[in-house]
Amino acid sequence: MSDTMRDVINKNRAWYCLDCGKCSAVCPITRFETREYTSPRLLVEKAIAPAGAQAHPESGLNQGFLDDLLFWSCLTCKRCSELCPADVHFSEFLRDARALARGVGRSGECTHGAVIQTWGRMMTAPDLAQDRLDWLDDGLRTSDGSDTVYFSGCLPYYDVMFNKLGAEGTGIAQAAVRILNHLGIEPQVMADERCCGHDQLWEGDFDTFRALATLNLERLAATGAKRVVTTCPECARTLKVDYPHFAGNHGLEVMHLSELLASSIDAGLLQLPGLGLEATYQDPCRLGRHLGVYDAPRAVMAGLGLNLTEMERSRATSLCCGTSCWTSCGQVSKEIQVQRLKEAKATGAGLLVTACVKCQIHFKCAQDDPAGADEVDIEIRDLTTLVADALRGG
Amino acid sequence: MKDPKVIVFTCNWNAYSGLETAGVAGESYPPSVHPIKVMCLGRLHPGLILQAFEKGADGVLLLGCPPGECHYEFGNQRAEEVVREAQAMVRLLGYGEEQLKLEWVAAGEGQALAGTVRAFVAGLNGVRER
Repeated sequence: MSDTMRDVINKNRAWYCLDCGKCSAVCPITRFETREYTSPRLLVEKAIAPAGAQAHPESGLNQGFLDDLLFWSCLTCKRCSELCPADVHFSEFLRDARALARGVGRSGECTHGAVIQTWGRMMTAPDLAQDRLDWLDDGLRTSDGSDTVYFSGCLPYYDVMFNKLGAEGTGIAQAAVRILNHLGIEPQVMADERCCGHDQLWEGDFDTFRALATLNLERLAATGAKRVVTTCPECARTLKVDYPHFAGNHGLEVMHLSELLASSIDAGLLQLPGLGLEATYQDPCRLGRHLGVYDAPRAVMAGLGLNLTEMERSRATSLCCGTSCWTSCGQVSKEIQVQRLKEAKATGAGLLVTACVKCQIHFKCAQDDPAGADEVDIEIRDLTTLVADALRGG
Repeated sequence: MKDPKVIVFTCNWNAYSGLETAGVAGESYPPSVHPIKVMCLGRLHPGLILQAFEKGADGVLLLGCPPGECHYEFGNQRAEEVVREAQAMVRLLGYGEEQLKLEWVAAGEGQALAGTVRAFVAGLNGVRER
């Protein structure tokens, strides 16, 4: 990757920062971080013109930049990039700077006792014999010859960790295969699939990311499939954008399941029973601002007969679920989650639909706190399981 | 295969005193067993257990106070929750159920403790060498 801070600044257009502060006006961390003032604009300034601090002669990193609270807590949600008039690639800038920081022994504070980062590293062992397909029940049809792979990501693992919160884990994977079966697709599922490496990449752990990507690419190539469908927006973004850029071209079409469903509805291949419920929708950062997929999940919701009331901030201005990469979760994350759940409740809808398991886990965690529970109590469901349940009932 | 590498987490109270008694009594277990004392098994987290496996352990054994005897009242119940979660995770990662266990040891039972450790190590015979 990049050798010096100068490369990182160059590559991500940080020189072009106009110091205008539009990013600071919308950054969720800037808004809720009370320990010190921090913002994307200020972090770029600290990187380029370190006030009174000496930059490291080789890496170009300086202490003030590394110690800024935003350095590891930035959600890379790209909200700032939507407004930046100078097209500074702030999220990627920080991703690359984090890789440099790892080189000098820095890292973010892992939430959940580093469990998730640890299994990510363990999955880099080529001969790991995972037992990850327990969720495939008898009613679900998969096949070895299909040109579609369903990539379940870390769902089996999240299921173990977060079922106590009531989060839908492998239920999402089961729902995905059930829906694909309904569409006449018997997808391949990979017993030796690895974590896609999304979190490792955005936390600057490029070595682990590349190792995971290489193993996944080998296995995907062995399936002979032409298309990968995911239910996690992070897997979708990573396989679609980051694998070709950092690990190798795979020539596979990658899509989030909501995109396949929207096009199937559009083509008249999928009719869904109408649920007739009032609902609102959380745009996952990776699906929305990262991949530009805003309409597909909304089209699926419309197909389900859900009356969508948008939150005050939606689509490109949507508020992130508060934590990224299982790192730096704390008071700021909680404040963002509570704020977002209040916005969801304010729509008057009784149902918050997400298309990302992490959004759901984070929101359900915030709801788990008895303090102020009545301000944030709204049912949360993944779009995938809603569709599968509707198909079953219909 | 050579002796499997084993991490034994003991609590500071019943289990660790058992370990000391075992030492005084000249009880033995394989040299590849590495005990780590924590104040209470309830202090552990699935992350620590997973990291033991990541760093090459073939087995992880948790030795704590029998039900009703926890120095901190409920730490051993917490340990049961932790180990259940960790067992489900290591199973997903392809490890066998014999590779992660939680056992209770009463205070001062050196012989029983050494026997439990030896039995755990013996149960790892089928585990592939890493």
